[in-house]
Amino acid sequence: MRSKYSFYGSLVILAIFTAVPGWGQSAKTIEAGKKEGKVVIYGSLESDTTDAIKTAFTKKTGIEAEYWRASATKVMDRALSEQRAGKPLFDIILTNDNPMQIMFKQGLFAKYESPTASDFPKDAIDPNLGPRYRNVIIGVVYNKSALSPADTPKTLEDLVNPKYRGKIVMPDPTQHTTTTQWVASLWKLMGKEKAEKYIRDLAAMKPILVESLLPAAERVATGETPIAITYVKYAYMYGKKGAPLDYSRLGKFMGDGHYLGLNSKAPHMNAGKAFIDYFLDDDSMKKMAELGEFVNRKGVYPPLPDADKIQFVEMVDLDTKGFAAKKKEYQQIFLR
Amino acid sequence: MSVDESALTASQPLTSAWRRSRIGAFLSQPVSWVFLSVGSIIAFLSLYPTFFLFYGSLTDAPLGLPGKFTLQNYVRAYSDPEAYPLMVNSFIFGFGSAGLSLLFALTLAWITIRTNAPLRRLFELTAIIPNILPPILVSISWVMLLNPSNGLINGAFVRVLGLEKGPFNIYSMAGLIFVEALILTPLAFLIVAAAMKSMDPSLEESAKTLGSNEFGVMRRITFPLLRPAILAAGTLNFVRAVESFDTPAIIALPARIEVFTTKIWREALGSFPTNHNLAAAYGVGILGIALVFVYLYRRFTSQVESFSTVTGKGFRPHQIDLGRWRFAASGVAFLLLVMLVVLPILVLLLVAILPYYHVPTWQTWQNLTLDHFRYVWATPRVHKAFMNSLFLALVGATACMVLASLASYITVRTKIAGRGIIEGLVFIPWAFPGTAMALGLLWAYVDFPIPVYATVWIILIAYVTRFLPYGLRAVTSTIIQVHKELEEASIVCGAGFLATFRRVMIPMMRPGVMAGWIILVTIFMREFSATLFLYSPGAEPLGPLLYFLYLDGMRGRVAAIGLVISLISVILIAIAQRYSRWDTN
Repeated sequence: MRSKYSFYGSLVILAIFTAVPGWGQSAKTIEAGKKEGKVVIYGSLESDTTDAIKTAFTKKTGIEAEYWRASATKVMDRALSEQRAGKPLFDIILTNDNPMQIMFKQGLFAKYESPTASDFPKDAIDPNLGPRYRNVIIGVVYNKSALSPADTPKTLEDLVNPKYRGKIVMPDPTQHTTTTQWVASLWKLMGKEKAEKYIRDLAAMKPILVESLLPAAERVATGETPIAITYVKYAYMYGKKGAPLDYSRLGKFMGDGHYLGLNSKAPHMNAGKAFIDYFLDDDSMKKMAELGEFVNRKGVYPPLPDADKIQFVEMVDLDTKGFAAKKKEYQQIFLR
Repeated sequence: MSVDESALTASQPLTSAWRRSRIGAFLSQPVSWVFLSVGSIIAFLSLYPTFFLFYGSLTDAPLGLPGKFTLQNYVRAYSDPEAYPLMVNSFIFGFGSAGLSLLFALTLAWITIRTNAPLRRLFELTAIIPNILPPILVSISWVMLLNPSNGLINGAFVRVLGLEKGPFNIYSMAGLIFVEALILTPLAFLIVAAAMKSMDPSLEESAKTLGSNEFGVMRRITFPLLRPAILAAGTLNFVRAVESFDTPAIIALPARIEVFTTKIWREALGSFPTNHNLAAAYGVGILGIALVFVYLYRRFTSQVESFSTVTGKGFRPHQIDLGRWRFAASGVAFLLLVMLVVLPILVLLLVAILPYYHVPTWQTWQNLTLDHFRYVWATPRVHKAFMNSLFLALVGATACMVLASLASYITVRTKIAGRGIIEGLVFIPWAFPGTAMALGLLWAYVDFPIPVYATVWIILIAYVTRFLPYGLRAVTSTIIQVHKELEEASIVCGAGFLATFRRVMIPMMRPGVMAGWIILVTIFMREFSATLFLYSPGAEPLGPLLYFLYLDGMRGRVAAIGLVISLISVILIAIAQRYSRWDTN
């Protein structure tokens, strides 16, 4: 009987340790992080999602987390400026693949292999940046109150129909790096020649240009503009608040990965590591999925209708020069 | 003879020579040391960022890295064909909003000061209320009222008149000018109203005695007398419009209207890769424009008495009896105040209790929420921003007024040689556009030995430098009115400079100091244009927080924070008034 209990006891202990991989390492990091007091994160992940993660992280570890949210462009610019000035104030950067790669090349990140990173599929691990914890899918989101079902755009090509002139909002491709990439990647969906014409036709629709993908979605939610080129997840996020949003089932979407990196000169190195450990953990991933994110866990989808059917094409990566060239090119097309 | 005595005798000729020399005489007075200290501080504050703005525009390396001399940034900035529409847009925006704000201010001032319109005193008092609302919030509230798709006013027109779409479009040059004009109206009102109040009525009465009617009096007497004040208000508002980023950030950027400040934003912060050098070259351009117009402003103000000065003359301007039209005049004043105060505040109140911004329907009233106020209450980022802004407002305004009091005393009350230099140095920040100064400060402090860059201190330096002229004007107008006899009596009784300054001048200057302090506190609580360039996430004041929340589409949170800012500003004003015995009348 006693041996039976010991057997079950051992199983329970084993289960605890497998459920919290690398617990021993994390506990030490957490203790050291507590002494540092807080972790400072700059990122483009939505504040409401990060707030939920931060609260759970602080509850679990006792380490305070400060989060500054801005567009991927601003996050990268802020981090690079602080590095150039020799005064980096952040521990963690949390944003899209392309800006992360640029920052990596400029030596912004320390190599940190989190024990919780092993939960991700191998093909989701970038050799430079580690696990691609979520995907961001760009599509067409519209306001159901502003458009009748027959009037909704079904394809990307529909967007250049003259009836939508002035009715589209999108981030400014001359300012917002993710949108620069999106426009520069359209050839992957429609071929080079067609994409070039499409870009000019889209600009001719005189879309309202905003700072980033979130304000584009917000304008559709408020009914200010009926259609947005933005992340499809916002259809769910704003829908939760009562906004009548849906997204076009485009067949193929364009998407990108999201990563987080530890600053090589982090003022709170251990607190930063503890945050990464928690952030990549199952608990955090589930929370994010519930809040509408496409996290990189098999079979886990956000509560967005047809989320499991979405297929996306990876956007092209640009380097600093590539962004400068595209910025100039799109200024001629979109701002004239 | 003791050793000490011999030493004294030997050094006597030397000491006498020293005392005879002008430098010795100059340095022997405490006031000279105050002059040197104040002069050095103001010189450093004014010249250091100016130098670095030019440095940034003449170098080829990014901020924080050593570079080589180049003129390429100017060539690129001003040979670009897009630079000309940008300049034209900036001038249209500047002249348009300055002109419209003058029209609003003149109308309101004339009705409240020169006519017998009912409730005119109430209108006069409420005309300065918009000063407590951050300009960025005024812009946001008008976007919610007049955007072409679901602006509340457009929506009302569509519903009531059955139109296909709303008649107004805020995302246009006209919209941009209209909103900026509303923001600038209180400043123009203060200048024009002060001039109207201090006008000598005997000239108008003489004209009437000689048979001129009301229109003739207005055309031949009133308007020429007001002309310097009108020109002063116009040029000042032109400069304030051209340098502002609040309204362009909210309206011009989405409307694709490029003005100087949006271009600087685009180059320095808004896009990747950023180009601070090119932004600095545009900054020098906007500084040049501002210098010309501030010079003109000073010429005009030298023709009219300082707008915040109480003249002390014991007359009241002649009041025009409008007869039956007095109610119509009140109606016009009321309409202006609705646009200036009532509508923006009502929209903010509404948006602050909506779950997400939309045109309200019957269902909306069942879904009202206090979630946005809960967010303000529960979010550490918001608390930190409030603390940063309060720190900047209280410490910045105090530091600014201390410096302004000393500088004002030296320039007005002393005959120290070189006191004109201080006046000249203060001219620079008076003309320095916030965005251009912020760029200069970034270059100036990125490698400064004292770690000021990316802290709240760089913002404090910007505020003190940029708004020192406001403080100076408030104190100077009071010092002029303090009779010299009081100060002389103190000196005759044996008090030195510091004792006289502390015991006589400070108590006498208190109303002016507190008036300046109050103005600065409200400005610092809501400053945005310079702050956006200088802040860092760890030292984020309210201006950038509001902007980023707005960009993230969180209009309810923006409205809730805006209302709390206004409430705090009102409380601070009330406290300061109580302790200063300062009378708004």
